[in-house]
Amino acid sequence: MFGSIDSLLRGRYTDPDRLREGRVELPIVSLTCTCLLLGGLYGASMGLYSALARPGMDGGMQVIASVIKVPLLFLATLMVTFPSLYVVSALARSRLRGPEILRLLLAAIAVNLALLASLAPVAAFFTLSTDSYPFIKLLHILFFVASGAVGLNFLRRTLPGVLEPAGGTEVQVDRTGAVFRVWIGIYGVVGAQMGWIMRPFVGDPDQSFSWFRPRDSNFVMAFFEALTGTFGG
Amino acid sequence: MIVSEVLRSQGRFSVGAPRIPWLALVATFTAATLVYGLVMGTWSGRSTQVLYSGLKAPLLLGGTTLICLPNFYVLGAALGLRDDLEAALRGIVTAQATVGLALAAAAPLTGFVYLSGCGYAGATLSNGVAFLAATLAGQWTLARHYRPLIEGNPRHRVALVAWVMLYQFVAIQLAWSLRPFIGDPGVATTFLRPESWTNAYVDAAEAMRLVLGR
Repeated sequence: MFGSIDSLLRGRYTDPDRLREGRVELPIVSLTCTCLLLGGLYGASMGLYSALARPGMDGGMQVIASVIKVPLLFLATLMVTFPSLYVVSALARSRLRGPEILRLLLAAIAVNLALLASLAPVAAFFTLSTDSYPFIKLLHILFFVASGAVGLNFLRRTLPGVLEPAGGTEVQVDRTGAVFRVWIGIYGVVGAQMGWIMRPFVGDPDQSFSWFRPRDSNFVMAFFEALTGTFGG
Repeated sequence: MIVSEVLRSQGRFSVGAPRIPWLALVATFTAATLVYGLVMGTWSGRSTQVLYSGLKAPLLLGGTTLICLPNFYVLGAALGLRDDLEAALRGIVTAQATVGLALAAAAPLTGFVYLSGCGYAGATLSNGVAFLAATLAGQWTLARHYRPLIEGNPRHRVALVAWVMLYQFVAIQLAWSLRPFIGDPGVATTFLRPESWTNAYVDAAEAMRLVLGR
């Protein structure tokens, strides 16, 4: 199973020549299973804070919820942003069709999740050595942003070549690149807000367990609250 | 012989050598950091502290490396550097051995400072300086191994910066958790302090707030 992620990271599935022919050959089932496993692993490191702060049923449920919700977060973001990338791709007359674009997005998410899972030991170590809820939230936000940046960089390196219209002029190529950059922004914002909607992942030690919290405020406000909670007194 | 080859990055330990001499590097690192740790603990004048410090020095540096290695591998692969992984890993492990050897070389100096009758603050400062110097020595070796890699692919610079940042971030917290290394004279000897599992960064922010009077 991890062979598929290793091959993906080595770029074996995203050979530029194959992509230009509109071929994206990915082991979908194996890669999806790997994504679920990697996401679940990082989810467990997120829920660990709650398990330590509230030993018993509440903490255990938070671990289970986070293991389920982290892969789900990426899947939901994929579902919401896929149509817009498809439209961009079609407008740019890319050779990639819907299923191929979906496969490419899955590849980017796999890269993102692999990086997140690689940070799980660091997150778990800090969870063991702190009781500061704002600090742990900030740490996870930082890890999500860093791994998201690498995942999107993977897409950025892969997609322009395939979105490029056949025989397109320089202006057309630039325009496609600009539209793609806008899409990356949309993906980032949707991912962040999706995470906010699907919270809690860490679990506030002063609140009892719940699968979801009421929908109020937004991700940006929560980020600044965590920042001031950790460093601002 | 091994010491000279590690520090000079020659022979089995040279840049671009066909294999990573894991056993020799890990053994060198462990023995050297153990020596420094033992000396570090002598300030307290308590044998248990000497033993604990001897164990904790390799635990600190080795533990940090182990916690950060998964990310090093995945980030390198995601940046398209998977084929150079072994060469990069050789640099990392050789740099760790260099840090250990530099610490061991600083052990007599630290012992001399202790014998000169320094107080607890002086002992803490001298150890801080020794760790800083050893870290710089490690960076020297790391740079030697990474130079050809960066020339071949500039993305190695990103991987290197990410490694150094994550390593420092984790090492500071692990050092905080593994206290005491020197042994506060007013506190009974324990392997870990009761407040070990607190957060260095949160405590630093708290201290800063107090200093600034907020």
